[in-house]
Amino acid sequence: MIELPLLFLIPSIIAAVLVGFVCSTMGTFVVRLNLSSIGYAMSHAAFAGAAFGLMITIDSTITALFFAFGTALIIGPLAEKARLQSNIIIGFLFSIMIALAFIFLNYVPGEAAKGSALRILWGSLFSVDYNDLLLLLFLSFLILAFVFVFYKELLSVMFNRKLAESSGVNTRLFFFAVLFFTGFAVSLSLKLVGGLLVFALIINPTSSAYQFFYDFKKIMIFSPIIGIISCLVGFYLSLLTDFPIGASIVIVSAIFFAIAIIVSPKRKKGNGKRNILKNQI
Amino acid sequence: MLQDIIDLRRIETIYEGEKIPVIYDINLKIKSGEFVAIIGPNGAGKTTLLETINGLLDYISGEGFVFRKEIKKNKSQIRKEIGYLIQNFEIDPLAPFLCKDIVMSGRTGKIGTFRFTTKKDWDKIWYSMGLVGMIDFANRPIGKLSGGEFQKILIARALAQQPRLLLLDEPFSNLDYASKIQIETLLNRIHEKYKITIVMVSHDLNFVPVGCNRIIVMDKGRIIMDDKKEKILHSNKINDIFKNGGRK
Repeated sequence: MIELPLLFLIPSIIAAVLVGFVCSTMGTFVVRLNLSSIGYAMSHAAFAGAAFGLMITIDSTITALFFAFGTALIIGPLAEKARLQSNIIIGFLFSIMIALAFIFLNYVPGEAAKGSALRILWGSLFSVDYNDLLLLLFLSFLILAFVFVFYKELLSVMFNRKLAESSGVNTRLFFFAVLFFTGFAVSLSLKLVGGLLVFALIINPTSSAYQFFYDFKKIMIFSPIIGIISCLVGFYLSLLTDFPIGASIVIVSAIFFAIAIIVSPKRKKGNGKRNILKNQI
Repeated sequence: MLQDIIDLRRIETIYEGEKIPVIYDINLKIKSGEFVAIIGPNGAGKTTLLETINGLLDYISGEGFVFRKEIKKNKSQIRKEIGYLIQNFEIDPLAPFLCKDIVMSGRTGKIGTFRFTTKKDWDKIWYSMGLVGMIDFANRPIGKLSGGEFQKILIARALAQQPRLLLLDEPFSNLDYASKIQIETLLNRIHEKYKITIVMVSHDLNFVPVGCNRIIVMDKGRIIMDDKKEKILHSNKINDIFKNGGRK
C-alpha cells in the first residue's frame, strides 16, 4: 500500500466523489436514451482531444472539451434522426479517435510530458489539480440545477421522445443538453479515470441502479450513489494495490453491476408481482 | 355556429429525404366537438395526417390551421392543447416509470418551462386517472400493465393536459376484444361528457365508436370519402378499398 498523508489525498478523494457523481448522473439519461454509442465515441474523442492538448502544450482539459463537443455536434444530429446506426458510429469513430490519440501522443514533446500522456490513457490518483476540482464542482452544480429545474421535461423525454414532443416539450434541446453535459463530464473525468475507461463509469452505475427500481426518481438518486461508492472503493483499491485508478474504479463498478444482475428483484422469476409491489413504495 | 378546430387546405406532406408525398391534396375541416374517425388501409397516410395536424411533420405546401392558428408558426402552442396517442407503442417490461409519472408527463408542456408541478396539476392528473378507471394503478410500473391498461394510462396522459383536441392513432390496435370494448366505451364517455373534439385513426372498420358521427376514408395519400358514419359504412366503395381486410 502507498503510504501518504491524508491531507495530500483529500483533493483526489473530492475529485473521485465528483467524477462519480457527474458521470453516473448523466448515465441515467445516456442509458435510457440509448446514447451509449455516441457517448462512447465522445469519450474517445475527449481522449484524442486531451492527447492533442499535450502535443501542442496547452491545457488538455480544454482540448478534450473541444473534441467531445465537436463530436456531439457532428454525430448528434445524425444519431438523433437515426440516419446513422450506432454500430457504425462506434466502428468508425472509436478507431479513428484512438488512432488520432496515439498519433498525438507520439508527438508529445519532452519525457515528463510523456508521463502525463500515459496518465490520460488510464488515469492517475494525483493528476487532478485545483482548477480541475473547481471545474468539476461547477459541473456538478450545473447538472444538479439542470435535473432539478427540468425534471418533468426530462422524465417526459426519457419515457418517449415523440410523445414528449407532441405535448409541447422541445425534445431537441434536451437531447443536445444531455450530450453537452455528457461531453463535459467525460472530459473533466479523463485525468482521474483515464480516456479508455471513463465511459464505463457512465454506464455501469446506472445499469446497476436499473436492476432494482421501477421508479425513475429512485434511479436518479441511486445511480450517482453507486457511482460515488465505485469511485471511492476504486480509489482505495488503487492505493492498496497500486493498480491504475481508472482500472480500479471500473472493475469495482463492474463488480457492482454483476452483483446487481444476480440479485436484481426485477429479474427474479415467479415472484415478480411481489417485487413490483415492493418497488411501488 | 361551431368554429373549425382543424382547417387544412391543399396540404401536402413529404418525409425527409423522400420525393413522393405521403399525403397530398388534403382539404379537411373539423368542427369543435366532432368525433371523427379516419379510416383506410395500411399505408394510406392516416398517421402522417395526424402528425401533420399536430405539427410533428411539416407540410410542404398548402395551408394548415388548428384552433385558427397556423400550424407551422404555432407548433408548440398548439401541441399544448392537443392530446396525442401514438400507435403500436411497445414498452419495455423493465421500464423505470410509474403510471402516475407517465400521466404527469402529459401535462409537462401545459405546465410550462421553469415551472414546477403544483398540487393543482396533481389534482388534474388524479382526475384523469380516475376518469379512465386507473387510479389504483398510480404506483404500478408502466411495463407491467396489460395492453388495455397501458392504453388507458396513455389516454389518461393525453387527458391530463386538458386538451381541446384528442388525436388518437389506432387506439384499438394490439388489444383483445374485451379491452377494445372498454376503450370504446371510455372514448364515447369522454366525448359525451366533455365535448372534446376527437380525431381517431383506425384501419379496422369494426371498431368505429358509437359516438363517432363522421368518417373520413383515406387511400394512397388522399381523402377519397368524407361523410356521415352510416353512409360510409353502407357504401359499396368501402368494400373495394378494404378488399374485406377491414371487415371481419
